[in-house]
Amino acid sequence: MARLDRGPVSGAACGPDMPAIEVRSLSFAYPGADAAVLEGLDWSVPQGAFALLVGGTGSGKSTLLSLLKPEIAPAGERTGDARVLGENVADMDVRASAERVGYVFQDPENQIVCETVWHEMAFGLENLGVSRDEMRRRVAETSYFFGLEDWLHRDTDTLSGGRKQLLSLAAVLALRPRVLLLDEPTSQLDPVAEKNFLHALFRVNRELGCTVVVATHQPRPMLEYATCAYRIEGGRVCEVADIASLGHREELFSDEVSGWGASRRAKNGVFSSASGQLGSLDPRTGAPGAEKGLKSDKSGEFEAQILPQDDSGASSRAGGCRILPKMHAGPATTLAGSWFRYDRASGWVLRGLDAAFSAGAVHAVVGGNGCGKSTMLSVLAKTVKLQRGHMERGAGSAALLPQNPKALLVAETVRDELMEWASTCGYDEAAARERAASLGLSGLDGRHPYDLSGGQRQLLALAKLLLIGPELLLLDEPTKGLDLASRRIIACALRDHAKAGGTVIMATHDLDFAEQVADDIAMMFDGEIACMEPPTDFFADNVFYRA
Amino acid sequence: MPVDNIQEEFGGEPVAAFSMSHPAVPALYIVLTLGLTMFSMQPVLIALSLAGGLAYGFATRGAAHTLGALRWQLPVILIIALVNPLFSASGSTELFRIGMRVVYLESMVYGLCMGGLFVASVLWFEAAASMLEYDKVLALLGNAAPVIALMISMCMRLIPQFLRRGRTVLAVQDAIDVPGRAPTDPVRSRLRASSVLMGWGMEDSLERADAMRSRGWGAATRRTTYARYRLGRSDVAALVELALFGAAAVAVAWTATTQYSFYPQLSVPAPWLGYAVYAAWMVLPCVLHAIDEKRFG
Repeated sequence: MARLDRGPVSGAACGPDMPAIEVRSLSFAYPGADAAVLEGLDWSVPQGAFALLVGGTGSGKSTLLSLLKPEIAPAGERTGDARVLGENVADMDVRASAERVGYVFQDPENQIVCETVWHEMAFGLENLGVSRDEMRRRVAETSYFFGLEDWLHRDTDTLSGGRKQLLSLAAVLALRPRVLLLDEPTSQLDPVAEKNFLHALFRVNRELGCTVVVATHQPRPMLEYATCAYRIEGGRVCEVADIASLGHREELFSDEVSGWGASRRAKNGVFSSASGQLGSLDPRTGAPGAEKGLKSDKSGEFEAQILPQDDSGASSRAGGCRILPKMHAGPATTLAGSWFRYDRASGWVLRGLDAAFSAGAVHAVVGGNGCGKSTMLSVLAKTVKLQRGHMERGAGSAALLPQNPKALLVAETVRDELMEWASTCGYDEAAARERAASLGLSGLDGRHPYDLSGGQRQLLALAKLLLIGPELLLLDEPTKGLDLASRRIIACALRDHAKAGGTVIMATHDLDFAEQVADDIAMMFDGEIACMEPPTDFFADNVFYRA
Repeated sequence: MPVDNIQEEFGGEPVAAFSMSHPAVPALYIVLTLGLTMFSMQPVLIALSLAGGLAYGFATRGAAHTLGALRWQLPVILIIALVNPLFSASGSTELFRIGMRVVYLESMVYGLCMGGLFVASVLWFEAAASMLEYDKVLALLGNAAPVIALMISMCMRLIPQFLRRGRTVLAVQDAIDVPGRAPTDPVRSRLRASSVLMGWGMEDSLERADAMRSRGWGAATRRTTYARYRLGRSDVAALVELALFGAAAVAVAWTATTQYSFYPQLSVPAPWLGYAVYAAWMVLPCVLHAIDEKRFG
């Protein structure tokens, strides 16, 4: 594939010194909004850069990116000037924009249009009326570049999320854009797929010379590829001088509590100190102090109750076994000799799986895609039946939070949503309001659930389930794509639920979250639980699979 | 492509006839064959068509599958053969009487032929599905109606997604297990699921529309269509040959059908070279399949 920056450039003249993106005093306000999202924003990205655009939810990252694509720019009041490769964005028609600026969206499900992989690759080219021979050539070379010729004939619906997102990237690249904008492209992917995607993106940047701008609230995995980073805050953009500083791990529980957090680190230090001596740029080793103190003051009391009082050498082991029998532990939820497959022709998803999940604790189940995590949750939720073995549910009631909260949302307003099961499950509006407030949803009563941010939507779904008071709470990827604020709220809610005696079982790819929130972590592999240990031991013994 | 991939993709799947041609070639064959089968009401032609369809079924889908289908196909032929005389009491050879109705041999044979014609048509439709897979139809359609071809492709993409989501919504509803909660009424829970799906789908469609626009949807006045098939010289030659062969088969069918009559008395078909042409046409995909099989060992 030819380098995109050496290709002929139509439109405005464009020297190597010209910035890929240049924005001058850009302001934007949504219709009917009190305050502007962007205000007098100046921003310039050099050609060939791999730029990160970081900022919290609602900071205007997506708005800024979409203002550079006139055909998807939101309606609203806009002043100022935006240029891509010297050409005013306002003057670009659909064709020019598609050919020059590529855009990859967040959700792999929603941006794929066609049924088969090859048709999806050709979709943009068909739109532009490219001749058949030229299309063949472009689809062929793009497929080779991304190594997707092996699944060229697959139905897009059968692909994993990671492959879907890679396909979206390839389909955009087939149009040979010089600038690529990506809005949270990896937030819906598991860590392995995320690395694959970022590596492909890195090759697009370095080998093809395509300028890449990634908007994200989780910049950590991208730091090694980035050449520059910008922070968007208060409607303005400023450059982040020290990119490595974006890599520190955010703590979910903010207050320092000495104890098992620190001892946990001591044990983990086997690896981190070694890499530190080698002068690694691993941002985690740069800020060891920030990694201490994992518990909020709320659970401090809980800590004191169950922690061994002496912080002796054995504490790291003991620290993991925080659930002592004297806690009001109900009967455990167990799976014994469980075998399950979806039909006769397909392979076993669960193969003689044994597991016990104690009450009053948060259990994390981790493992690669298709290892059977979600299937196990379905078994525990009694939506599928084991073919052999048996499942015993210690809890009297249960609920399942699906991967996508949209599967739970049915009402027109947040208030109606929370009250949907009020009469059947016996709670009143005051309880609903209190629950909403505890999950940071107060003041949103009249909003439509689909107008909320992704994080708020997830919290709303969780609030809805917590209101019915399930003793056993099953969660499938509860933190997928969420920003720090929402992850913190969920972390506290899960801890509180366990503290009240409930059983929490979550399938997750978010090792960071599992490490800080769970009492034990089970790794699923090949239809079995390969190991189930407290986080400290789990991460101490893992070499490859780490938070 | 590495060897294991070829096996993965084609392992166990027999190669359909005309698989190496442009889709226009099997399309022409299928259209002509279905036309010949459905409009030739003549016992010999029906028997030949039925035999050809069965042979192709045996070759590509295996004996078990084809014989299994005969379990319902044969009774259908028999039922039509028995029912037809009850509705059309014409003919000259009286077999027996049911009450006041006379059952004639002629109308029973007519029914038998109708049944055979019906089953032969079903068999050829199945053959059509194996020769003209979905993406080949799309390639044929794409030339004439690119937007319709895209709409079909989008629907094929969204239907499985919609079904999968529907199952998720129902599973999440079922997973809610609270003591004292009345069991959900299946009708209401389906209604709820459909309204969840509606909101979900509409929300997603906004983003999909953006994704389409950002890749140049509506930029050109006429979309082009990516096709995996090229109409080569050999395809054109095959089309011409098929057209000539087909014309001969149509002529045979026309002659044989117009000369044949069921009523008032069955005519007796005489041996005729034309039948050989018709038989050759019907057995053509089977022969092509055999050649393919031999080539691949």
